[in-house]
Amino acid sequence: MDQSQLAMVVPRRYLLSEPPSAPVMASSCSQALRHHVCKSSRILRIHLQKSYRSFALNSAADQQPAVSSPEEIVIPKKKTWSKEAVLQALASAVKRDPTASDSRFQDDPYLTPKTSSEFKLFSLSQESGRNAAKYFINTYPKYFQKDYAQPHIPCLMPETLEAQIEEASEAALIERIRMRKVKAAVDLYDQLLQAGTSVSLDVTNQLLDLICFCGDHDPAQENVPEQRNEETEDVQDEPQAKKGRAPKASGLLKATWKENNNAERIFALLSEPNTHSYSALIRGMVKYGAYSKAFSTYTDLLNNRLKADVQTFNALIIAAPEVKEKYNEKWELIVDLLKQMAEQKVKPNLLTLNAVLKALRRCGTLGKSQAFPVISEMKALSIDPSLASYNHLLTIFYKTGATIQGQTDILQEVMNEVSGKSFTAQDPDDAQFFITAMRICLDTKDMEQAYRVHELLGVGENWRLLGNDFQQNIYYARFFSLLCMMENIDVMLKWYRDLVPSVYYPSSNIMRDLLQALDTDNRLDLIPQIWKDIKQLGHANRQNLVEELLILMAREKHNQEVQESFAECALDIKKIYDTGDRGKVLLSWTAGSLSDLISVLLAAHRRQDAWEMLKLFKTHNRVPSEELLNRFLTCVKEAGEVNQAVELVQISAGFCLPETPKLIQRVQQEFELTEQQRNMLSDLEIQTFNSD
Amino acid sequence: MYRRLLININQVRNRFIHTHNTRLTLPSTKCKERESFAPNEVNAEVNTDGQKNTEMNEGTDISNATLTSQLETEPVVKPEDSKQLEKTKSGKESLLELLGAMKVEVTTVRKIRPSKTPRMSESESSNIFLYFSGTLNPALVAAVSAAASTLPNRHQAESELLKQLRKHEAIPDTQRRADLGHIIADMKVGKRPNGRSNVRPTSQISFDDDGKGYTQDKGITSELGVRRRKSPFTSKRLNLFAAGAEQDTLSDLGPTLWDIDLANQIVQGTNQMPRNGFEEMIQWTKEDKLWQYPINNEAGLEEEASVPFHEHVFLEKHLDESFPQQGPVRHFMELVITGLEHIYWFRDYFRQKEDVLKEAEA
Repeated sequence: MDQSQLAMVVPRRYLLSEPPSAPVMASSCSQALRHHVCKSSRILRIHLQKSYRSFALNSAADQQPAVSSPEEIVIPKKKTWSKEAVLQALASAVKRDPTASDSRFQDDPYLTPKTSSEFKLFSLSQESGRNAAKYFINTYPKYFQKDYAQPHIPCLMPETLEAQIEEASEAALIERIRMRKVKAAVDLYDQLLQAGTSVSLDVTNQLLDLICFCGDHDPAQENVPEQRNEETEDVQDEPQAKKGRAPKASGLLKATWKENNNAERIFALLSEPNTHSYSALIRGMVKYGAYSKAFSTYTDLLNNRLKADVQTFNALIIAAPEVKEKYNEKWELIVDLLKQMAEQKVKPNLLTLNAVLKALRRCGTLGKSQAFPVISEMKALSIDPSLASYNHLLTIFYKTGATIQGQTDILQEVMNEVSGKSFTAQDPDDAQFFITAMRICLDTKDMEQAYRVHELLGVGENWRLLGNDFQQNIYYARFFSLLCMMENIDVMLKWYRDLVPSVYYPSSNIMRDLLQALDTDNRLDLIPQIWKDIKQLGHANRQNLVEELLILMAREKHNQEVQESFAECALDIKKIYDTGDRGKVLLSWTAGSLSDLISVLLAAHRRQDAWEMLKLFKTHNRVPSEELLNRFLTCVKEAGEVNQAVELVQISAGFCLPETPKLIQRVQQEFELTEQQRNMLSDLEIQTFNSD
Repeated sequence: MYRRLLININQVRNRFIHTHNTRLTLPSTKCKERESFAPNEVNAEVNTDGQKNTEMNEGTDISNATLTSQLETEPVVKPEDSKQLEKTKSGKESLLELLGAMKVEVTTVRKIRPSKTPRMSESESSNIFLYFSGTLNPALVAAVSAAASTLPNRHQAESELLKQLRKHEAIPDTQRRADLGHIIADMKVGKRPNGRSNVRPTSQISFDDDGKGYTQDKGITSELGVRRRKSPFTSKRLNLFAAGAEQDTLSDLGPTLWDIDLANQIVQGTNQMPRNGFEEMIQWTKEDKLWQYPINNEAGLEEEASVPFHEHVFLEKHLDESFPQQGPVRHFMELVITGLEHIYWFRDYFRQKEDVLKEAEA
């Protein structure tokens, strides 16, 4: 063993060139070699296996004895793993659990959202809790100085929000720029200039960047609790959610480029502005809507014999549709800009071409003719289109609201291009693709492409590009509408059970679509099950949804079992009508809903429950229909309840229904009445006659 | 139930479109090539109406093959479909529909629906009319005279049309169909600048379901078969940039404010929520909130990594001031900081004491 260990230390080359005249040594060496091989890394083993395999192949082919010299073992380079490598491998082994709620709610089962409003509420409160904590830490840093973490975790420590360097110097200016304090930085810059201190061009450019980026306003405090945009898809769904919406970036959007603002002033002070200075100015102007000014600044840049950079061109392409009226003028301007880019040897990037495609969306029919050449140009420059590019493409060919004219093939072509690819986010518009594609599928009623779109969503990290919760909601709403419309109910329900409610909380409209799909496929027997979901999803207070459900249940005759479950469901619905939420009545009875409910109960031979319901007509000032009373009477007759029949006539008379005489006649003919009842009925007959 | 019917229709139609799309992608892509990717702009619409002619300010001549191929491949309008379409029919669309109807009548029906505006602007387009009708239907004769009335030399035109019509009668069915391509080829095809109305021209011009006509024109299709699989993604490029041209890079000063903002926008736009506990841990690791999961033996030794090895080995500098410069303490400490010496010292020590040890029988 000693020997072999020793041999291990001996370089391999030496071992291999060992003369065969030392058999003992050789055997120990081979032992050592085996040992060595065992200890070597996995990759080395693979390498060995490969070489053995190729060796075996060679010998088999040559039909020669194996005397070839042992293969050179190449020690592979050290593989450096990212620090998340192990976690990534573990995470990739975890599959989505269709019965679990979103991962962020799993800490506390009590806070598992059941409805979309709860989902919004809980996720936003989680977010705002984090923001509040951060706000306090940053506002009162002195209370949060104790550093428990070992090793130190910088991101848990309070951020310094106050400038540390007091005296007027370039370092202080850089600090203020870094902290995005626009006003302070501009003031300091002026101070420096007045004191005669020169500021380097780089720092001035950074200052220009800051001013242009912020539009000459101090940006809103970042740690002020902020929400993502939470526009509800169907407003009727969530009226109270609108109140909670934060002001967002609305203030920022309103800000416009002001004549002679600090950026322009400082820019004018520059003796020799360079490309960066111009770039900052032009980008700022485009960002804050001074489009034609941006173009004149660009002309200025050319006059100064400077070249623009790719970002400048990108900004100008974004601005191009704004400065021209006609479609062809817009496009000509863009082509002109692209030509100038080529002349100035500026290589376009993905954002350039996405900007071109986005501009083409506003170029009318030109878009359709030019979009594909633009994509081809991208590919020729070996720029892979991102999902945003495809999104623009689809939007060009399928305009919202316009009727679809046999352009299914474009979506198909796009899907052929993207299928199976994993995308990473490179453009803020990337997250629009899935929504757009699904909208088109819905518009063209193309189930096949919808499945392909959905499949693409599952590839790699593509799910990230579906966007935030709001966008996910839209996407799934469209997917489900399409499923309800086009798929048979079994497939539809398979999707439904897979996605609801773990990733999607359907709106009441989607639930109505689902009911209609049940109707279409004659699976109304599933209604009680769906009703449970409706209750769970918080749509039980939607009058039109509940009424639709009642209509569907009452419409046709089913077998006894189904009727029984319908009756249970109907009684459950009645409870919702009765209780209301916190004393507030959510649903109000209509004649239709009452009679539907009674019909359901009668069909299940629940005469007593139905009788109770019948009384509600009076309490809620609704009038029952003739048909319902007749049906009721038939049911009463089956049970042979003479008293109830007479009572029914009395109720009818109480509503002064024109059909009362007929009912009286029926009762007189079909029931065996006592003398007293007979008298009562004839009295009623006279009364109704008189009232007529 | 009406909804159900609609759904069924849609399903049927979609299936239908699909089969046709897969089978017959060639012509449309070909059109795309020629017509710069706006196949739907090209109305396969014959200028049978003078009024319409003036309307089309961008009348484009389309080449023979393009149009024929498009006509060849148009799927037959499903009865349900046309029913659906009829609902939203205006004057122009009825004209289109007329065309569609005519096409169907090539071999099967010998009747023609009279046009609401039967004026013809070009004699060649009225030829089409005759072709489709076959026999000298009185309605057709009326249409001919109506068409001729729009032309300057009315009587001549009429007689010419009728002559053509009778001549046509003699032509056998198959040849007639073969000729159809040429006639359609000579037609002017209107191109409307704006999006068309809600009726798809593709479904308007329908094809015979007896299949004979199709095989007749197969020559053209197969001739163009080479380009069948061409997708629009392989179209011509703009050719503005030279491929492979490298940008002379400007001095890079690290990410600017704009770059940070872009990255921020991208992050905001995408879903960054972890889907499971591991992903959350990844997020924490990225934020440096979590001690990284060990991936090798040096995990967590970041501080040590900055200490060179000799600082672990040569420890003399620690003896400088706080210890006497010489004497037994100094000697002892020197041995302490050089561990190996220490061992030798003990070896020597015990060797010296060997006799004593032997005496003690240890």
